[in-house]
Amino acid sequence: MKGQASAYWKASAVKFRIPTAQNLVPIRLDIEVDGQRFRDAFTWNPCDPDSEIVVFAKRTVKDLKLPPVFVTHIASSIQSQLADFRSFEGQDMYAGEKIVPIKLDLRVNHTLIKDHFLWDMNNFESDPEEFAKTFCRDLGIQDPEVAPAIAFAIREQLYEIVIQSVASARESRISKKGRRGADHTPASKAGGATLDLVKLFGHRSSVVRKRKEWDVYEPIVDLLSNEEMDALEAREERNAR
Amino acid sequence: MELPQQHSDPHQTRPEQPELDLYTIPSHSSWFLWDEIHETERVALKEFFDGSSFSRTPKIYKEYRDFIINKYREEPSRRLTFTEVRKSLVGDVNLLHRVFSFLEKWGLINFGAPSGGGDGDGSEVLGEEGSNKVRFEEGVPNGIRVVATPNSIKPISAQATSGNKVEPVDSGVKLPPLASYSDLFTDLMKQKELVCGNCGDRCGSGHYKYTKGDFLICTKCFKNGTYGENKSVDDYKFIDCIQDTGNHEAVWTESETLLLLESVLMYGDDWELVAQNVPTKTKPDCIAKLIELPLGEILGPATHRKGNSNDLNGNLNISKQTQSTSSEIQATVKSEDQHVEKTNGSEQNGDAVEHGPPLKRQRIATLSSPAGSLMEQVALLSTMVGPHITAAAAEAAVTSLCEENSYSKEIFYGDDDSDGPQTLIADAEAKRVLEVEDAEMEGGQTQSDSQDKPFEKDDMPMTLRIRTSVATALGAAAARAKLLADQEEREIEHLVATIIGTEMKKLHCKIKHFEDLEVIMKKKYAVMEEIEDILLAERISVLQKAFKDGIPRWKDHPFVKS
Repeated sequence: MKGQASAYWKASAVKFRIPTAQNLVPIRLDIEVDGQRFRDAFTWNPCDPDSEIVVFAKRTVKDLKLPPVFVTHIASSIQSQLADFRSFEGQDMYAGEKIVPIKLDLRVNHTLIKDHFLWDMNNFESDPEEFAKTFCRDLGIQDPEVAPAIAFAIREQLYEIVIQSVASARESRISKKGRRGADHTPASKAGGATLDLVKLFGHRSSVVRKRKEWDVYEPIVDLLSNEEMDALEAREERNAR
Repeated sequence: MELPQQHSDPHQTRPEQPELDLYTIPSHSSWFLWDEIHETERVALKEFFDGSSFSRTPKIYKEYRDFIINKYREEPSRRLTFTEVRKSLVGDVNLLHRVFSFLEKWGLINFGAPSGGGDGDGSEVLGEEGSNKVRFEEGVPNGIRVVATPNSIKPISAQATSGNKVEPVDSGVKLPPLASYSDLFTDLMKQKELVCGNCGDRCGSGHYKYTKGDFLICTKCFKNGTYGENKSVDDYKFIDCIQDTGNHEAVWTESETLLLLESVLMYGDDWELVAQNVPTKTKPDCIAKLIELPLGEILGPATHRKGNSNDLNGNLNISKQTQSTSSEIQATVKSEDQHVEKTNGSEQNGDAVEHGPPLKRQRIATLSSPAGSLMEQVALLSTMVGPHITAAAAEAAVTSLCEENSYSKEIFYGDDDSDGPQTLIADAEAKRVLEVEDAEMEGGQTQSDSQDKPFEKDDMPMTLRIRTSVATALGAAAARAKLLADQEEREIEHLVATIIGTEMKKLHCKIKHFEDLEVIMKKKYAVMEEIEDILLAERISVLQKAFKDGIPRWKDHPFVKS
C-alpha cells in the first residue's frame, strides 16, 4: 500500500477540486431568525459570479415567502461557504489511488435511506447526480426530493475527504522537505478511511463480494409512516437540545 | 446454472434447449465472448485498459462484466438494476455504473426484459412511460444470436428462429431497422417472408409494395387504410404473393427459361450442372420446366436432337424389355412392333415410301435393332422348341383369345369353318414348319418370317394377329423353358450318376485292398505253421537222442506235448 501510494504520487499530483465530473460546491444552509428556521442543501458552481448569490437568496426568500431578513443571512452563508471552498483551490491534493467508502444515512421527508458503497477519489468523471437518479429509479423511489438529497450527501462527504486530502498533501510536502528521502508515512495515512486496495483488487481476491457481505452494501430504503415521522422528529429535537 | 425460463413476455423469442440454456442477445452484440474482451469493450471502457490504476485492470473488468451478465441471466425475464449489482461488487460505483450501462446499451443484459417505468435516459424505453411492452426493432428476432452459457467456449451458430414479429400494434413509435441488418438481410427477408411494415404480420396472400421505397404492407392494412406516414394509396402497387413460403411451384421468367434452355444445350442430361447454371431455380424445378416446354415446335434443331435422343433412350429401353421379358409387353409396344414390321418391309424393298406413322415413330423403328421385333422373337423361339410345341402353344393362345370375345372366334374359325380347329392346328403347324425351314435356309436371318405371316393370314385384323403371335410367343417361351428345365434335369442326373460311379470305384478299391491283406495274412500263417512243425520235429529228435543216451529229465520239460 505504501509503495503503491508513493508510486502514484508524482504522476497524480492534482490541484484541488471535487472529484466529480462537475466541480460543484455543496452548500448547506441552516438559518434561524426570530424562531423561524430555514434549512436547505444544494450545490453551487464556484465559477458562477458572486453577484448571483444575492439574486439567488432574494429569489429563494420570495419563493418561500420568508421574511426579508433571511436574504442577507442566506447570502452571507453561501458566501462564506464558497470562500471556504476557494481557499483550497490551487492547492495540491493527495491523489494517489484512493477509493473511499461512502455511507449514506439520511431521511428525506418520509423516506429513510441507508447505503454503503465505494467511491473512487480519482475518478473525475463520476457523477453523484446520475448515481442518485439511478438509485431512485432502481429502488422505485417516487419522492423527487430524494435523488438530489442523495447526490448532495455524496458530494458533502467527497468534499470532506478532499479537504482532508489537501491537508495530508501539505503535510507530506512538509515532511519531505524536513527529512529528505524519508518515506511518506503521512501520505498513506492521508485518506483515513481509504481502503486497502491491494486486498481488494489484488490478484488473489475477486472483486465479487462474498454473499454474506452483500447485506452490508445493500441499500436500505424505508418509507416512514406519519407516526414514525413524528417520533423521529421528536427524538431529533431532543438530541438537538 | 439452472435457470427458470419464464416467458413472461410473450413477444420474446427465446429458443429453449434444456442442456445448453440459451439466451438471446441482439445481433449487434454478437462480438461478445465469455473468454475474451472485445475491441468494442476496450474502446468504450478505456479506463480499464490504459493501466492507469491498480483498481482498474482488464481482469477486474472481466470479473465485473461476467458477474453482471450472470446475475442478469439468473432471471432473464426480470430487469436487473444497477443498485442490485453494485452491492455485490467491490469498486467505485461510478465505474461499475459505466460497465453496467455499457452492457445494458449493448443488450447483453436486460435485453428483452421489461423496462422499469420512468426510465430517465431513454435509451431502452421508447414510447409512453410505464408501458411494459418492449418494442423490438423490426427484424431483430431474425438476427438473434444465441450464446452459450458461460465457460462454454464458442457461441452456438445463429439458429434460424422463425421470425416472430414482435411489434405491438398500438406502437406509435417504430424504429427503423438497423442499418447493418437491413443491408445484409434485405434480400433474404424478401425471399423468405414478406412482412407487413405496418402490423408485422406475414403477408401470406399478397401485399402492397410501396413504389417509392422499400416498404410493404399487407392486404389487411391496405384495406384498413393504414398506409404508414407520408404515404398514400397511389404509392402502393399490389403484388400477388405467388412465392409463398413453402410453395415450390416456381414461376419462370423469360430470362430464366432461356437460361435453362442454354444450360440444357450445354450440359445435356446433367441436371446438377443445369440447376447450377440456373441459380434461381432448383433441380426439380428445372426438370419440371423442361418437361413442360413445347420443345419440338419452338426450338431449333439442336434441342430437337436432344429431345429425340432422350426419346431414343426411352425406346431402346422398351425394346430391351421386349427382348428380355416378353411378358411385359404392353399395348403400346404392340403398336410399335406393328410399325417395325412395316418399316422392315419397306427397307427390304429398298423403298423409302412414307408410311402413316409420325416422324418420331419411324425414327425409332429404324434406329431400334431388328432383333427387338416380337415376331422374330417368336420365330426364333419356335425354331428352338420345335414345330409341335409351337403349334400347341399357338392353339392354346388362340383358344384363350377366343374365350375373350366372340369376334376373334369368328375370325379364327370363320375362314376355316369347314375343317374346324383341327385344320387350324395343322395349318399352324405347316406354317411353323415352313418358318423353321426358312430359318434354316437363311441361316438365322429370320426377317422373312414376319413377311410370311401377313401373306398367310392377311385377311385377319392386325391386332388379332399380333395378339395371337404374342400368345404364341408366350407358349413358345414356356416350351423353351420346359426344354431348358429338362436339359438341366438330365444334366443333374448325369452328374449324380457320375458321383455314384466314383463312389463305387472307391469302394471296390478298398475291398481289393482288404483282400490283398487277407492273402498276406494267410501266407504268414502258413509260414508260422511250418516253423512250428520244424520246431516240434527238432524237439522230438532231441528227446529221442536223450532217451538214447539214457538221461531221465522229464521234470525239466513238463510242457512238451504232442
